[in-house]
Amino acid sequence: MRIEHWWFTVPLRLRSILRGRQAERELDEELQFHLEHKIEEGVAHGLSAEDARYAALRAIDGLAQQKEAMRDMRRIHWLTDFVDDVRYAIRSLRRTPGPTALVVMTLALGIGMTSTPFSMVDALIFRPYPIPHPSGLVTLVSTSRDNSYGSFSYREYLDIRAHTKSYDGVIANAATGSVGFSAEPGATPRIKGGMMVSGNYFRLLGVEPQLGRGFRDDEDQVPGRDAVVVLGPAFWKHEFASDPSIVGRTVRLNGTDFTVIGVAPDTFPGLAIFGGPDFYMPLTMARVFSTNPQKTFFEDRDDRELSVKARVTPDTTLQQARSELAVLAQDFERAYPTLNRDRGATVRTQFDMRTRDDDGYWKIGVISVILAAAVLLVACTNVAGLLLSRARTRTREIAVRLALGAGRFRLIRLLLTESLMLACLGGLGGIAVAYGAIAFLTKNTIPAELPVTIPFRMDARMLVASLVLSVVSALLCGLVPAWQGARTDLVDGLKTADVDVPGRTRLWGRNALVVAQVSMSLMLLTTAFLMARSFQRSVALGTGFAKDHLLMARFDPRLVQYNAAQTQQFYNLLTERVRVAPGVQSAALTQNPPLGLNAFDRIAFVPDGVQMPRDRETFTSTLDTVDEGFFETMGIPMVRGRGFRASDTGDAPRVAVVNEQFAIHYWPGADAVGQHLRLDGATGTPIEIIGVAKTIKYSSSNASGRPIDFVYVPLAQHPVSRMVLLLRSSGDPLQLVDSVKDVVRTLNPNLPMLETRSYEDLYRYAAVEAPGTAVELVSTMGAVGLLLAVTGLYGLVAYNVSRRTREIGIRMALGATSADVVRLVMGKGVLLVGTGTAIGLAMGAAVERLMNAMLFDAGGVDILAYLVVVPSMVLVTLLAAYVPGRRASRIAPTQALRYE
Amino acid sequence: MSKPNDLVQGTLDLLLLKILALEPLHGWAISLRLRSLSADVLQVSEGSLYPALHKLEQEGWISAEWKQTENNRRAKFYSLTRLGRKQLASEAANWQRLSSAISRVVRLSEA
Repeated sequence: MRIEHWWFTVPLRLRSILRGRQAERELDEELQFHLEHKIEEGVAHGLSAEDARYAALRAIDGLAQQKEAMRDMRRIHWLTDFVDDVRYAIRSLRRTPGPTALVVMTLALGIGMTSTPFSMVDALIFRPYPIPHPSGLVTLVSTSRDNSYGSFSYREYLDIRAHTKSYDGVIANAATGSVGFSAEPGATPRIKGGMMVSGNYFRLLGVEPQLGRGFRDDEDQVPGRDAVVVLGPAFWKHEFASDPSIVGRTVRLNGTDFTVIGVAPDTFPGLAIFGGPDFYMPLTMARVFSTNPQKTFFEDRDDRELSVKARVTPDTTLQQARSELAVLAQDFERAYPTLNRDRGATVRTQFDMRTRDDDGYWKIGVISVILAAAVLLVACTNVAGLLLSRARTRTREIAVRLALGAGRFRLIRLLLTESLMLACLGGLGGIAVAYGAIAFLTKNTIPAELPVTIPFRMDARMLVASLVLSVVSALLCGLVPAWQGARTDLVDGLKTADVDVPGRTRLWGRNALVVAQVSMSLMLLTTAFLMARSFQRSVALGTGFAKDHLLMARFDPRLVQYNAAQTQQFYNLLTERVRVAPGVQSAALTQNPPLGLNAFDRIAFVPDGVQMPRDRETFTSTLDTVDEGFFETMGIPMVRGRGFRASDTGDAPRVAVVNEQFAIHYWPGADAVGQHLRLDGATGTPIEIIGVAKTIKYSSSNASGRPIDFVYVPLAQHPVSRMVLLLRSSGDPLQLVDSVKDVVRTLNPNLPMLETRSYEDLYRYAAVEAPGTAVELVSTMGAVGLLLAVTGLYGLVAYNVSRRTREIGIRMALGATSADVVRLVMGKGVLLVGTGTAIGLAMGAAVERLMNAMLFDAGGVDILAYLVVVPSMVLVTLLAAYVPGRRASRIAPTQALRYE
Repeated sequence: MSKPNDLVQGTLDLLLLKILALEPLHGWAISLRLRSLSADVLQVSEGSLYPALHKLEQEGWISAEWKQTENNRRAKFYSLTRLGRKQLASEAANWQRLSSAISRVVRLSEA
């Protein structure tokens, strides 16, 4: 049909739909008008009023018929039929509120649980770059034997730019990590994250700044000359309240003044998934942001920090681009045989990059989607079972409809509308579930230095996904019952005979499903319970050190380009001065606080006097670098020997403190103090063990809580530039923040304080919130499993009841009591629950053994877990079988015999 | 729906369009006009008139408007739309072709 035609007809159809009642009235009025004239005409021709009326009605061939014919002309039948079906479906669903609610809940969980991980997978894999024509953008990677997604150095980037022809442009960027930012020169810097980019970055991506301008080509020519910065949209909003006069202002980054030249648009939060940069600087300003003093960014060909992306020209295939780059990589290897040995390069698409095999997140996402889809499938199967039992009780209704001339297709449509209604309600619930699940998964803010954006969100893509899932589940759970219902044999259906011969094989699958659901949910609930209990125990056990009244702040003097000597001087002065600040009891430095988010370094060593196993040259242990105030400030007692002293300087003999676990591990039954460790092999520098500290909890990712080997070395002998200052306070630790700030400002006003918080904040996240979330997650899964088991069992028993109503009636007529009937109907359910429980118990016990071995120090069999979980589980599932069973027992024999 | 008497299928549309092309009319007037114009030869059943009018309206060829009649009663007046005018032209042309072809055949058999 032509567009012009639509122009006229669409409003007409809409009017018929939306103003149906008015159209109906007009229909009446129009015909009435005609009739009146016809009657008048008849009277004028000499007929009596009565006769004229009849004649008029005859002439028009029946009012009702004409109206129906006129309605047909509106061509909205499909819709009015659908509306009728929906009305009918709602009415019939409202008659059975209990099962309907059960079905809706099951579907809501299934749909919600599937769309949640979908949002994760969408964010991690499928969501395109937020730029125009995102598909043309590829990533160039440097490949070596152990990394096929490597970065390039600045020199290499320049060569790639100069010697490739496959691209419309090649861009490079490098995240700066932590940058000390202050809006005014005097203010204490705060930590933000930036991105260094090549001059053509925004232009090639097709990103137009919403304010000011992007970088010019000449701004990435001369190292250190162009201190200009483009702000990220969110950063501009938060830090500068969307100030439109920001362009031209000066901000200070790592102690260097930069001029703001523009603001990136809201549509471009950055290319990365987990959070965008706060600001962009030209690559040529790399010196200000480099934290690697060993390398010269602009010169060293092996200082590979740049992520390189490019737009492939329209007439280049990916294959051509790949071979061109591979040839270039061979040239590199020829020209720089030592730096580029065995190093290749290739081109990867966005999909390649997002599904890289060395990244676990997307795999977890995909696995979750598959698992959730399985849950949805089980939910749909259960719902289908419930609907099947409904359809059976309606055989007669359907037969009557068929007898009255309803088409089978029309009937399937009616029955499918019912499941569609259920699925739509379930879908709405599912969106609520997904919303809650996302809120749940993102509720804990990770106390990292730079904010981490968790990319799950409810957006249009997710709503569409939920909708699609609803329709799919409507088809999944509705098609079989509808098909079977519409296939009802007319004669048999009307004759009321229950023609179904109980087939054992057909129910086998559903029985197995119920058993699986019961056992899985039992296992999950037991596991959740065990996890919760051992988690409680582990919190109650404590950390082994005093975690209250501690303030922490991290420093990184590399941000202001301090060398090693300046760094040492800084830390000396810092601890010296904060120690005398009011309210400070003691101060310490450590590379990483215990139970923090960063992993400890590891040290390779050979212990003196210990026989090395033949297959290894060194042992390894976790390591922390601390200063002389550490043990006192953290309240870690020395078991033997002494802690570090100020006299353990860089020139003094090298010393170390080990923990009790380490001492027992290597020198059981002997005194570890006075023994030596040699670093880097048997002939390395000897380090004398001067003390043994009590073993504490070090890492929250080490969930077993089993003690680990640990070595402390003094900062003076093992310089580290990134250190955490720990202050023990007499009052609220956060009150010390200002005095620490004052001290830092006197030392260097451009040095930012990172991660300034009370230690308990960190502890709460790492040791309480994160494991708590895991426990909640497993118990939620267990509860979902239980709900599924309930729906499955309920549907199965209800189906049996509906099938055997006649038989039950006969039994009752012959004298069976209602208790007999309940027993008869529930017998199967009890058997299934029993089997499921037995399997679930076995699995639970296995998981418990596994958990004892690997995860938590749960300590033996937790009887309480089984005492709580198993009976409640059995009770709930039996209830699901009892409800339809009881209904069967209430059937009056006379009714049941006439039933159907 | 009863078929209009002696009316070739599809010509009712053409007749209605043609009548409405002259002036906007309500249903009753259309039925009168149809009778008088065809000198009572074309007896259109009133039963089929209204569904036909509705169909034309839903196709967008005519549009309806409630107005007062000369003796002050509300009636639904139909008038031709721009789209309807095109439709009329093409249907009329069709009819011309068809009827001239038929008359040629008829004359041939008489000769």
